Amino acid sequence: MSYIFVSCTADNVAAMASTGYEAARRLEAGNPKGGSGSRTAHGHGHGRTAHNMSSSSLRKKSDLSLLSKVRCGLLRTILTNLQEIFLGTKLFILFPAVPLAIAANYLHFGRAWLFALSLLGLTPLAERVSFLTEQIAYYTGPTVGGLLNATCGNATELIIALFALHRGKIEVVKCSLVGSILSNLLLVLGSSLFLGGIANLHKEQSFDRKQADVNTGLLLLGALCHILLLAFDHAVSSGEQAADAAPRLWLSRACSIVMLLAYVAYLFFQLKTHRQLYESEEEQDDDNDDAVAQDEAVIGFPSALAWLLGMTAVIAILSEYVVATIEAASDSWGISVSFISIILLPIVGNAAEHAGAIIFAFKNKLDITLGVSLGSATQISMFVVPLSVIVAWIMGIKMDLDLELLETGSLIMAILITAFTLQDGTSHYLKGLVPLLCYLAIGACFFVSKSPANQIHDVNAGVLTTSTGVTVA
Amino acid sequence: MASRCYEAARIMEVGNLKGGGGGLGKEVHHGHGRTAHNMSSSSLRKKSDLSLVSKVRCSPLRALLANLQEIFLGTKLFVLFPAVPLAIVANYYHFGRAWLFALSLLGLTPLAERVSFLTEQIAFYTGPTVGGLLNATCGNATELIIALFALHQGKIDVVKCSLVGSVLSNLLLVLGSSLFLGGLANLHKEQLYDRKQADVNTGLLLLGALCHILLLMFRYAVNTGEQAVDAAPTLALSRACSMIMLLAYVAYLFFQLKTHRQLFESQEEDGDDDDDVVSEDEPVIGFASALLWLVGMTAVIALLSEYVVGTIEAASDSWGISVSFISIILLPIVGNAAEHAGAIIFAFKNKLDITLGVSLGSATQISMFVVPLSVIVAWIMGIKMDLDLKLLETSSLIMAILVIAFTLQDGTSHYLKGLVPLLCYLAIGACFFVFDSQTGEYNSFYPLFLLHNLASLHQKMHVDSDLNGITDQNNGIDAGGLTTTAAVTKAY
Repeated sequence: MSYIFVSCTADNVAAMASTGYEAARRLEAGNPKGGSGSRTAHGHGHGRTAHNMSSSSLRKKSDLSLLSKVRCGLLRTILTNLQEIFLGTKLFILFPAVPLAIAANYLHFGRAWLFALSLLGLTPLAERVSFLTEQIAYYTGPTVGGLLNATCGNATELIIALFALHRGKIEVVKCSLVGSILSNLLLVLGSSLFLGGIANLHKEQSFDRKQADVNTGLLLLGALCHILLLAFDHAVSSGEQAADAAPRLWLSRACSIVMLLAYVAYLFFQLKTHRQLYESEEEQDDDNDDAVAQDEAVIGFPSALAWLLGMTAVIAILSEYVVATIEAASDSWGISVSFISIILLPIVGNAAEHAGAIIFAFKNKLDITLGVSLGSATQISMFVVPLSVIVAWIMGIKMDLDLELLETGSLIMAILITAFTLQDGTSHYLKGLVPLLCYLAIGACFFVSKSPANQIHDVNAGVLTTSTGVTVA
Repeated sequence: MASRCYEAARIMEVGNLKGGGGGLGKEVHHGHGRTAHNMSSSSLRKKSDLSLVSKVRCSPLRALLANLQEIFLGTKLFVLFPAVPLAIVANYYHFGRAWLFALSLLGLTPLAERVSFLTEQIAFYTGPTVGGLLNATCGNATELIIALFALHQGKIDVVKCSLVGSVLSNLLLVLGSSLFLGGLANLHKEQLYDRKQADVNTGLLLLGALCHILLLMFRYAVNTGEQAVDAAPTLALSRACSMIMLLAYVAYLFFQLKTHRQLFESQEEDGDDDDDVVSEDEPVIGFASALLWLVGMTAVIALLSEYVVGTIEAASDSWGISVSFISIILLPIVGNAAEHAGAIIFAFKNKLDITLGVSLGSATQISMFVVPLSVIVAWIMGIKMDLDLKLLETSSLIMAILVIAFTLQDGTSHYLKGLVPLLCYLAIGACFFVFDSQTGEYNSFYPLFLLHNLASLHQKMHVDSDLNGITDQNNGIDAGGLTTTAAVTKAY
């Protein structure tokens, strides 16, 4: 679960980074060449990009005064490094959850505790991974940096998905990915627009709808693939189509290739041909007090790389704990596995970005909010999901794109509501309240839902269902 | 409608008092205080000719007669008023039940229009915000009362169907016909409206549709075994969703009446309207009188609604059409007749903001207020009503909302934009005509029924003359016999 959790966060990060990087690149390109006319008033020398701005809202300025007193040069460098990595975020209070989770595993605490601790530990780790990829991007340049974020953040989620696939928990993978999309589209976007609308009650709130349109189009393509699978399934079971398992898997794999193709085109669009759509807004001076302005990397390239690998390994460990203990947590807390995967995991996983999106909505910078939430949803839907199917294909596991009826229906409605909400380029608080309430309704729906596998204790359930439930659990 | 008007009226009042307190983007201050509600319902009003009454010498009698004239003759729909006493008479003299149904329906139309007039008059006294709230709750009083009576009589399906039908009628029929006729009348003019208002309503309608879809999918998931079989969660989920919908409606009212009033102000009325529209800045009847009449008329509406709900099955059997068709198509058409007429008239005058305000606002009110309120009231009454409409109704609702959302998304209009929703409504109507979604039976048209009957008779004769009695032929005859019996039972 932690894998999924992290991957959700990392996706969002990747989204932020990729949007940030063309802006940063243009800035770099502009500065040496003496300002090559960018469309937005961008060249104030700050290089503020969407990624920087969003994740920097959670960063703190590193106070190096204490460290400079350390005499030994090497020790000082290491300590600076550590301070930058571990204390450079407001989320650092959650870091102790990481060793606690590992301790909980070896000391055999309650499984539910292990689950909760792993979840908590994943939040700061995911944020730090985004920070590290950003630092690395300073060295590699913005385009490669953007690509790096687009894949690295998602690579974490992919590793998580692979672990879960390896354990045969295909439903958990599907549910958590759908839940992440729903959370980004309805919860993050809705709460940001709502709170931003209330904070800016008498101001005009506008955003560039072209960016939203691109993302909406891709999300609809992804939704179409899921619907086709679902409809196909239904047609087979109602006898319209011949009962044959092979076409469904084959269709899923074909659709996954189509979705990956769309994602590649989207990256090309975003990073090469239509960069100007994604340039972020100029940051005002009043932001400097709570955001860290960084034009330079704060840690060295090999150091960043080493930390990145290390943190990814820790993320993998925590994710394995989460995936293993999800049923135990579900039994212990009395809520269904689907509710945990669809609602709880993404909420906790997206926490860092969620906070960032709300903060920027308060400042009436809706383009960044939209870039974070919509970009993340698009990446999960068009990259992580199909890639999971392809990798499962390679691993010989039968994963398809067929979500259940409830998930598919919720996904479609979420995309439609978001598309209609964002279609005119303006916003007010009611536009945020409606998606938020939709998310509440969907959450309530999954809260009362119970998959038959959970009915082990239900006397009225058929023997077959009970035995299936026992086998699965 | 009224809630939107009332901020405009209030701003007008404020503007007048303070000598013009800062324009709000639209020219409203021509001294008429014309609001969407006023304009829409006033299109059906007639100027009261008080000359006849003024000849009466006795002063209280004159006041009383003036009052009565204002109430009863102040609308072009007054021709339908006799249906009210006729319906009451029909009940006590035991006329055919179908007659009682039809008369009650006809009698409800002018009463609904008068209730809206009275709430408008009361709003003059209470101020625009309270007036807006009053209209927001009483605006669809007819639907609400019918729903409550049907709940009380345990006809939950009638409630659901009539409310869905009302939303469909507002979205597709009223809006479609208005845009169509308005487009034809203004063939070479630019037809514009403010799409922000449409967007707000569309968003709320989608939220309501989402709740219905979740319930429907939940039920399907239970049937196909994806979900555990448990009836309680559907009810709990419905009640949770109803509270969410009511919350959204309260936020919508707050948005409309307090923070974003300027989005809902109506257009300026031109001088050429004065000949057929009553311009009123002052109430025409006293507050106490208005209140009294309002209570009285609501009581009569309740009475007629009870007749309607009580006789719907009898009318259905007598006319040979399904109860769901009557609830989804017939009831709302008759119930919305006054608003429908008003919306068309304003589309003719190219005042599409008012048309949209009337139709979309009404649909939003029913979807986000009356429906969840019915569920909550049923909860209090101990009746198991949920938000689960059947598949056909839910999909019609979704498609209607999508069609309207796409139609209205660019802020302009022409006649084809009205024709499309209109034809959608015809298609949906045809669908409900042939298929009784409550019982899942296909409704045999009389000619189809005849053909079917003839075919079965032929088969029967064929087997009777052939004494072999082959098994499948027997089964065929049995099936034919069964179907025929069912069709006979249905048709009569």
